[in-house]
Amino acid sequence: MTLLTRLSWQQFRRQLRTTEWRALLLATWIAITLTTLLALLGDRLERGLLRESAALLGADLVLSSQRPLDPQRLTALLESTPVEFAEVVQFPTMLSKDEEMMLASLRAAQPPYPLRGQLQTQPQLGHSFPQPGELWVERRILEQLGLNLGDLVDVGYQSLKVTAELVQSPDRGSGFRSFSPQAIMHAEDLAASGVLAPGSRAEFRWLFAGDAEPIRELTQALQASLLESERLFSLTDDQPMTGNALGSALNYLKLAALIALLLSALTIYLSLKRFSQEQHSRCALLLSLGMTPRQLSQVYAYQFVYAWIGLSCLGLLSGALLDLWISQWLNQLLPQGLPQPSTWLYFSGSALGAVMLFLLGLPPTLQLAGVSVTRLFREEELVNSNWLGRLLPLLCLGLLALTLLAFLRTPVLSLGLLLILLVVGSVFGWVAQLLLLAASRVLSQPLRLGRLLRMRMRQQRAWHRLQAGVVVLLLTLLSVIWISRNDLLEDWQNQIPADTPNYFLVNIQPFQTQPLSDFLTDRSIHSQLYPMVRGRLLERNGEPIREGLSAEQQEHNTLNRELNLSWSDQLPAHNQLVSGDWWPAASQEAEISIEQEMAQVLELNLGDQLLFDLGGVLVEARIRNIRQVDWGSFQPNFYVIFNAQALQTQPATFITSFRLSTDATPLLRELLSEFPALTLIDIDQLLQQINLWLGRLADSSALILLLSLVSGALLLIVTLKQALEQRRYEGALLQTLGASATDTQRLDLLEFVLLGLICGALAAFTAELTLSLIYVYLLKIPASWHPGLWLTLPLLSASFFSLCGFLLRRSLSLMECFKILRRH
Amino acid sequence: MHLFSNLQLKIQAGDSLAIIGRSGAGKSTLLSLLAGLDQPTSGRILLNGQDLTSLDDTTRAELRSRHLSFIFQSFHLLPELTALDNVRLPLEIRGDAQADQLARLWLKNVGLASRMQHLPSQLSGGEQQRVAIARAFVTSPALLFADEPTGNLDENTGREITDQLFRLNQETGTTLVLITHDKELAQRCQRCLTLHQGQLLEGVI
Repeated sequence: MTLLTRLSWQQFRRQLRTTEWRALLLATWIAITLTTLLALLGDRLERGLLRESAALLGADLVLSSQRPLDPQRLTALLESTPVEFAEVVQFPTMLSKDEEMMLASLRAAQPPYPLRGQLQTQPQLGHSFPQPGELWVERRILEQLGLNLGDLVDVGYQSLKVTAELVQSPDRGSGFRSFSPQAIMHAEDLAASGVLAPGSRAEFRWLFAGDAEPIRELTQALQASLLESERLFSLTDDQPMTGNALGSALNYLKLAALIALLLSALTIYLSLKRFSQEQHSRCALLLSLGMTPRQLSQVYAYQFVYAWIGLSCLGLLSGALLDLWISQWLNQLLPQGLPQPSTWLYFSGSALGAVMLFLLGLPPTLQLAGVSVTRLFREEELVNSNWLGRLLPLLCLGLLALTLLAFLRTPVLSLGLLLILLVVGSVFGWVAQLLLLAASRVLSQPLRLGRLLRMRMRQQRAWHRLQAGVVVLLLTLLSVIWISRNDLLEDWQNQIPADTPNYFLVNIQPFQTQPLSDFLTDRSIHSQLYPMVRGRLLERNGEPIREGLSAEQQEHNTLNRELNLSWSDQLPAHNQLVSGDWWPAASQEAEISIEQEMAQVLELNLGDQLLFDLGGVLVEARIRNIRQVDWGSFQPNFYVIFNAQALQTQPATFITSFRLSTDATPLLRELLSEFPALTLIDIDQLLQQINLWLGRLADSSALILLLSLVSGALLLIVTLKQALEQRRYEGALLQTLGASATDTQRLDLLEFVLLGLICGALAAFTAELTLSLIYVYLLKIPASWHPGLWLTLPLLSASFFSLCGFLLRRSLSLMECFKILRRH
Repeated sequence: MHLFSNLQLKIQAGDSLAIIGRSGAGKSTLLSLLAGLDQPTSGRILLNGQDLTSLDDTTRAELRSRHLSFIFQSFHLLPELTALDNVRLPLEIRGDAQADQLARLWLKNVGLASRMQHLPSQLSGGEQQRVAIARAFVTSPALLFADEPTGNLDENTGREITDQLFRLNQETGTTLVLITHDKELAQRCQRCLTLHQGQLLEGVI
């Protein structure tokens, strides 16, 4: 080891004892820990949540068709893209036991089906998929057929033994298929059952799972060859509600991450600034001993490298441990646990740590190399005389910002936030400092210490500006996160009104509508029956509907499957008319009402003539009005509603939804035994899923919030500690000039309380402002005031300052005062 | 504003020269100029016939490291390095292969043979300044600048240090430029100049 290496090593070891370097190390450690944790946890969550969506789908990608799929096409596809594959056929069928019969949605497949998620049974069996001869059925089937485990059920010509109750199963199929009572059998039994004849109404599905890239390729390949009768389901488009939740959850975590990292970077920056100031004399000496600026930079660069190596190991360990701990905690929340993160992500923390140290350390290090030796003879301020010296820190900060943005992968959102934070931080630092000066001017009259306070406020202007900027920023951010987290939840919860229907009834035959209505009315269950006819949209104004539409427009739901069409003489109570008017009951002309989003995407206008194919019967109708539909309302909703004249002659089934209290089982049993062919859909399950989502979103953001809080608190303590050293010097000076120890203590307390109160009030103001903006523009919720903030924040920050000051401060004896003064 | 006016000074190699003056007279600025640390706004400074004012920063720094050494009032030893390492440092910086030998020699020369492995904090003020003197001489400088070398020492120690400084100055033939406000110390130099109102006057005033 050369003396220079040794010098930098010894210099490093010695500096471990200084406040600046300790703060720097601690902040970098936190940044590395945080980045590692966020990368690992983010990856786990992202993949876990995606897998959760995938579990609903049973795969990463599903190709669904009304007709059998061509095996040759499959071979070709799998040759070019290596992914997991499974095949399933789903069809409605009557299951029967003795005299009882029931319509169920039966799936026939074989392992590895499903590719994502798993079948859950009661009791849990040793195998994850029914073996040949076995049938797993949902509870509704067990109840309705009066089945016990071990009973035989007839599926067509085949008798299958019910060996388990199917508790949960992914890939329930699309549309209403997914709501039917489900049963699963092994594909080997299918042929013997004879239920699936050519032309039978069935859905044939191919399931694919694999890494993101092959799946993306496969999606493209399938999209290119998609037939009219086929639909492609991917993770993002199948479940609009959960898909959105996933997006917001991840964005939320990333924004919280940006804030936490920003705080760490700020701590590092401030520590380095102080550190480099303390190093000026030393550098001047080394230069006077003949060291070249280049060698000098090297000595300091080594020091950063030592720090980085140590912190990388430490940060990797702490980040991974935290990740382990938190994901174990989350594992209890998630039904199937979080997946392992990618290996390379373990090093993302130390990589970001390196970038941070390099970019934040470069400007002060280069500045140190430019120190003048004359500093050793006379005190002089170091000025960045050349443009490079002034530009470099900005350049480095910009690069660091870019790195952070790249790490977070939400550039626009993060950049916006970053800019707002910087501007608000500096503006409020300045405003706070002015307010402090004004406050001390007011207090200088009545208070004995007032004059000293006023002097202190003037002396400490720069520090107040910085400290206030940081604290206001921090408190604002924490308040914003905290409140938007709670309101986000509330908003979500408000989206689900208390009277949201929790049951759907489908497959209601026309002759059953009257008795069913009577049945429900007798039991005071409020519901409305809607007829349903399946049909496909063919033409607009005599032209094929797809003509002139972009590929994106052609993706729309309404063009890629048979639609459930309805007719009514009244606008459904839960829909809203956007344009046009509703037809009179006696209207003879064929008229339709179109859902707003469909009209927008397909560029449909009032007066357009649309042609539908209703299973071979063509019906043309004129658009009379456009409706707004809340798809999350759990009411029967339709893209297209006809007037009665146009459609009522078509064979239709009816659908309805209603709300039942949780212990409605006897009533349901009664309903099902009176109307055995009806399919009852229990959407409590769906609501529970949404609730689970909300909880998980709140928990994961609370977690990141906690981490931001830790790094924010560290930043506060660091800057406060730096400030306290200055206070000690001033205190010593005042004491030697005749003030008592109590006086200086009171002066400090007064200053900190005042600073805390002003910062708190400013933070409350900024938080309100930011929240209003977020509410109105981002969440589209009306803004509201939060009086609690105005009370909590000033009190909190004043007590935090005073407490830290009290804890970090030591009272000075006169002897120590002289020592301190001599040192300076 | 002109700090100095009509300033002319020629120092012979091997001379010892003291510059005295009240605090604020511009002694340190003059030293910075002489050592090529600062550039004068007008006038020239020649070292071995080479015009320092015409050189760029890098060349001047190189020249400085080859020919110049400094001794400071507050010693300026690196606290984490031993006495030996402190003395070795300037040689190591220059990549001198005999750094260790020379450093030991010079520490012996200033009477610190038994204190080589001590850290500055374990040495007295006088010992620290002796380490600094060894460090200044170890590179065999042509020109040595001493800025108030006894300013932080008590009278006796100061005298010892001064004795040593002048002894080494004579032994090595180094040119010594001493900045001080101590008239007694100044008079021990072969030549003594007073900086007064921007002008250098011969003798102690």
